[in-house]
Amino acid sequence: MDKKLQLSGKFKTAMFVLIAIGIVTVVVGLIQNPVRMWANLLLNNFYFFSLAIGAAFWLAIQAITQSGWSAGLLRIPQAMSNYLIVSMILWALMFFGVHDLYPWTHADAVAHDELLQHKHPYLNLTFFAVRYVVFFLLWIYLTQRIRKLSLEEDKHGGLTYFYKIEFLSKVFIFVFAITFSLFTVDWLMSLDPHWYSTIFPMKYFMSSFYHGSVIITAIVVILWKQGYLPFVNKSHFHDLSRYIFALGIIWAYLWFSQYLLIWYANIPEETIYFVPRTLSYFKFFFYAEVVVNWLFPFLFLMWNRIAKNPNALLFTAVVLSIGHWIELYMTIFPDTVDKHYIGWQEIGTQLGFWGLFALVVGWSLSKMPLIPKNHPYINESLHHHV
Amino acid sequence: MNRTKILGIYEDHEVLLEALDKVQSKGFKVKDVFSPFPIHEVWEKLDLHTRIPYATFIYGASGTAMTFAFLYWSSVVNYPLKFGGKPLNTLSFVIIMFVLTILVGTIMTFLTLLWRQRLYPGRKVEMPDPRTVDDKFALVIEKTDDLDDKKMEELNTLLKETGAIEIKESNVQYYEK
Repeated sequence: MDKKLQLSGKFKTAMFVLIAIGIVTVVVGLIQNPVRMWANLLLNNFYFFSLAIGAAFWLAIQAITQSGWSAGLLRIPQAMSNYLIVSMILWALMFFGVHDLYPWTHADAVAHDELLQHKHPYLNLTFFAVRYVVFFLLWIYLTQRIRKLSLEEDKHGGLTYFYKIEFLSKVFIFVFAITFSLFTVDWLMSLDPHWYSTIFPMKYFMSSFYHGSVIITAIVVILWKQGYLPFVNKSHFHDLSRYIFALGIIWAYLWFSQYLLIWYANIPEETIYFVPRTLSYFKFFFYAEVVVNWLFPFLFLMWNRIAKNPNALLFTAVVLSIGHWIELYMTIFPDTVDKHYIGWQEIGTQLGFWGLFALVVGWSLSKMPLIPKNHPYINESLHHHV
Repeated sequence: MNRTKILGIYEDHEVLLEALDKVQSKGFKVKDVFSPFPIHEVWEKLDLHTRIPYATFIYGASGTAMTFAFLYWSSVVNYPLKFGGKPLNTLSFVIIMFVLTILVGTIMTFLTLLWRQRLYPGRKVEMPDPRTVDDKFALVIEKTDDLDDKKMEELNTLLKETGAIEIKESNVQYYEK
């Protein structure tokens, strides 16, 4: 039960190689085409940040619902939410690129634009930076506190920690709902400061929960294959795939709600968002986003036997991590570089971030016992059966 | 073909599950289990299968197709009325298709279930032991031709050992495939 994850030297070397590829790509990319590289950095920063915060939300949901089945798997989202600290540091670098990405940061652009002047009290660099710091500190404080309490629970046992974690999780989901919405508005929606959609933050909120669950599932499958988490059985896999299946539907629901309302109302300042996305070279990705993120898991995981199969789940996770990339690509690229690019810059940056994320999560997992042994519902999880 | 059935009545579902394992490991074929609530383990232990999900999928898919056909016929073919500058064959079909997929899927699945189980209002349900809808659990073993007196004896002691409070025979015909 006290088994810890052993990171092999090979794994570490491979991840460092990926990080090195990422760093080289970013440096060369910034010299060659800074706007494209900043867009890439924003994409990848948001990609892995939303995986981490989505995992934290998943963790909070388990605590609030007092779920038994997942008690043995809680270390994985805890380790993933550790990435938030790294994400905060990396995100600080984004401030060097704000002028390349956000039109409202240019004083002359604001001076000639009534709408931007109107939005200035909210969209100005000082308040923007303050929000970034406050939001990240709140998230890091709450997730680290939950993680510490869970580790304390391991040592002392008892129900006090369980209830404390539950209370903190309740605080967290409210904080998360408000701050994450504002955060997406800040960093993604303000790429085109004239356009707004009220369902936009909800879609990214769901996307982060969705893709966070996908990566949790992938890590559970990988650890299970390595022989850690010996208790995991078909019932656990089935529950995890239910998360993916249900969240995929909700994601599509929000995507469609946003698109349908804009399409139906047909107001020029709203439809402008979909003009570059549906009429130009981005068209392929516009459809790919829905097919990969919704249609594929919907039809694939519908079959009971596939939903319980760890290899099929791993395959789903790979496909959906591409889907997450396409989703953010469709959000960021048409507004910033507005030309369709997929080249070594995109792939290299993504690989570098994957290396970093895997290293941070792996390292955090290796620092704590993999199975929380004093969780009150741990036995339910170890003998989970539906 | 209807045969006499031997029923072992149990009072607790955990005891029943253990008994089920023991009876099966001794080579007796357990035909069925009656219980007041669904026990998932029984599914796996009796190796039961259902084709209802496939039926639901087909109903859902045909619900989508039929709804689309109807909407297309009514608003494109039969009465093409342009409004709001939208194309005739429009995206707003999706909502109705989505809702009717669920409606057709659920209602047809429900009707299929009733039909397969021969259930209809006023039907008198026959069951080997009516107490199994209250607080008792029953293991059902069919009395096949190879169950001679010696084996019957063995089965009786086995059921007693595993905690059956009562063993009885029943000739009630309940619906089976």
